[in-house]
Formats: sequence, structure tokens, C-alpha cells
Amino acid sequence: MIGYLVRTTLGDAGYSWFEYLLHNPTLGFRWLVEYHGHWVMTRTAPGVPDTTAGGVSYQGVDYRHFSTAKAKVVAVVGEFPWTPRVDERAVVEDYVAPPRMLSSERTPQETTWSTGEYVDGRTVWTAFGLKDSPPERIGVGAAQPSPYAAAGRPMFLLTCAFIAAAVLVHLLFSVLSQQRLVADVIGEYRPGAADSALVVSEPFSLGGRTSNVMVEVSTDLSNRWAYFTLTLVNEDTGLAKTFGREVGYYFGRDSDGSWSEGANWDRAYLPSVVSGSYVLLVEPEGPSPVVWRVRLTRDVPRPMWLWLALGAMLVPPIFFLWRRAAFESRRWSESDHTSSKDDDDD
Amino acid sequence: MIKAYLVFGGLVLAALTWTHYTGWGPSNVTEEKVKSVRNNPGSYRSAYGGRSYTGAK
Repeated sequence: MIGYLVRTTLGDAGYSWFEYLLHNPTLGFRWLVEYHGHWVMTRTAPGVPDTTAGGVSYQGVDYRHFSTAKAKVVAVVGEFPWTPRVDERAVVEDYVAPPRMLSSERTPQETTWSTGEYVDGRTVWTAFGLKDSPPERIGVGAAQPSPYAAAGRPMFLLTCAFIAAAVLVHLLFSVLSQQRLVADVIGEYRPGAADSALVVSEPFSLGGRTSNVMVEVSTDLSNRWAYFTLTLVNEDTGLAKTFGREVGYYFGRDSDGSWSEGANWDRAYLPSVVSGSYVLLVEPEGPSPVVWRVRLTRDVPRPMWLWLALGAMLVPPIFFLWRRAAFESRRWSESDHTSSKDDDDD
Repeated sequence: MIKAYLVFGGLVLAALTWTHYTGWGPSNVTEEKVKSVRNNPGSYRSAYGGRSYTGAK
């Protein structure tokens, strides 16, 4: 290292950065620039970048404009290829394409372009054999590579693969499952009529592996309700599964127009029903007569599980995108292109 | 994060396959042992009897 200088931007919210000039007889000059614990190794860029819509393009890489500031030299020590002086002023522009950075330094006499790449502080400390630790990083550096950049494509592909696999699993079960109608019981309930209060189905068989049973209750209810107590009895074991379903359907018209509430049918699933011989008991209740029908279908894949699985699978990618956006937000909070300076430090 | 997602997604897929295969699901089912249905249908009423629904409108 042969030289060191400090620059500060002009204005109320001025900030400083530090430039270390390195020289190697073979490689020539290099600058190590440090700001808030973020290091960029730069060198003079041959040629002039092309101006693009949001920044510049240089050697096939598009750089986005990050900041423009007037700066002055406030301290200088060592040897330089020119004679820097304290209070020497220039307009400094930074463009970024992490981990690359392109900067211009414009004075009334000339414009100098330099190209650089982000360097981890520990690399600098190791290279110079320095003890202790490099200064702690504050915020996100303008050219600091995002830790999420490399994972974006694998995350996207993995999400697509998981969604495709989940849909495939559901489709396979939809095709291969029994979905067999095992009981179809029809009845008419009349309040106070004892013979309509309980209906027992003919025995039926539930075959195959332990799986669910879909229960569908349909009625002729209209602005009424009914409650059905259903009992599925395993004749082999004597075990009875009892559950209740309310069916209610109301509609009408008011000042806001027509409305409706509920439905005259209902659907439920009995989980993990073992195979065997069964009967179904149906016990309707209600204030008015109702014609009802209860159908049992064996082994029906529930779409609800597919939707839940898809929702769960999307949580990590959404979290990933949020973290990546937050990282970029912290980066650009230091730029000229930000609406807030309130982001937390990294 | 990718490795964690691999594990998480694999577990979700396994859970989806398991629920589809076994028909597992949350339910509000009471399970009790009753006497023979075929011989004495009225006997099950004791399994769920004594309750009367008073809800709805």
C-alpha cells in the first residue's frame, strides 16, 4: 500500500469513505475502497461505458445507477500517480451490478472510470496478514453480493417440482382409489312420527385398506333446517362411529336484493375407517318434514389436503422472496433511489 | 435454505401421500361399542341417545 486518502461528500448528510492505493510492479495500481466495513477492489477501467435506461453498460454487463454525489478529499497520505490535495473536489457516480461496481470521478478537467468487485473484509485482513478483525459491516454494501441471488433459481425449480409432485400424488390417488358408492339410504322425516325418527340401512361392506368414507346428505329443505345424527356401526367389532350434521338452507329478498344462506345438502368425511361389514343409522331431527338422502362413498381423496400441501409448500419460497427483497431494500436504502432511510442495519 | 426446503417439501409430500392413503383427517366422531345392530336395531340408540339437537334457526 503506497497511499491513503479520505473523501467526504458535500452537504448536510455527508458521509466519508476511505481509499487505499496499492501498487504492484507487474499488475500496476489498484484501489481498495472501504465504506462502513464494505470493501471494493477497483482499478481504472479502459474505455467508456455506454449509457442505458437505468444506468450504464460496460463490457457486456448492465450496471444500475446507485448514487451521484459531490465529494472532496479531506485527508491524504502517501504517494499517488497524481498530486491529490485536501479539498480537491469531484463528482462521483456509482453504478452497481453486484458484486461488480463501476464508478466515475468527474472533475472539470477529466472523467475517470474505474471498475471494481466486492471483497470480503476477512479476505483483505488475510491478504495483508492483519491481526484482529476487519471493521464490522454496517448495512448492505452497494456491491455486496446477495446471499439469496444464487439460491433463486434452485428455489424456483424446487417449488415447481414440489407442486408438480403434490398434484401428481393427488391425481394418482384420484385415479387409483375406490371411490365406490357403498350405501344409499333415502327417507322422509315427519316430526312426531316415531317410524321416521330412525332409519337403519341394509348391511353393506367396506372393502380394501383402511381409508375414509365420504358422507353426503341431501334434502329438500327450503327456508328450514334439519339435523342428522348418523351412526356407522361395524357389525364385526360392534364399534359405532357417531357424528352429527346440520343442514339448513335459507333464502329471500330484502332492500339489498336477493340473499341466500347455507345449502340443502352437506358433505363430511369419516377418517380411517377399517374394512368390514357395516350398517348406517340415520336419525333426523327438525321442526318440519324433510325428505332426505344419505350416500356413503368409500375411499375418496380429499382435495383439501392437496390445497393445504400446496399452501405449505409455498411458505418457504415466499419467505425466501421476502428475505431477498428485504436485503435489496437495505442495499438501495443507501442509494439515490430510495423512499426510506429507516431500514435496519445488517 | 435449499436443503431445509428439500426436507420440508419432502415431509409435506409424505404427509399428503399418507393422508390420501390412510384417509386420515380431523373429525368430530364419537366411537363407542354397541350391541348387534341386526338383531336389535333399537339397541344402538343407547350409543348416542339422550341427546337432542336444538341449534339452527
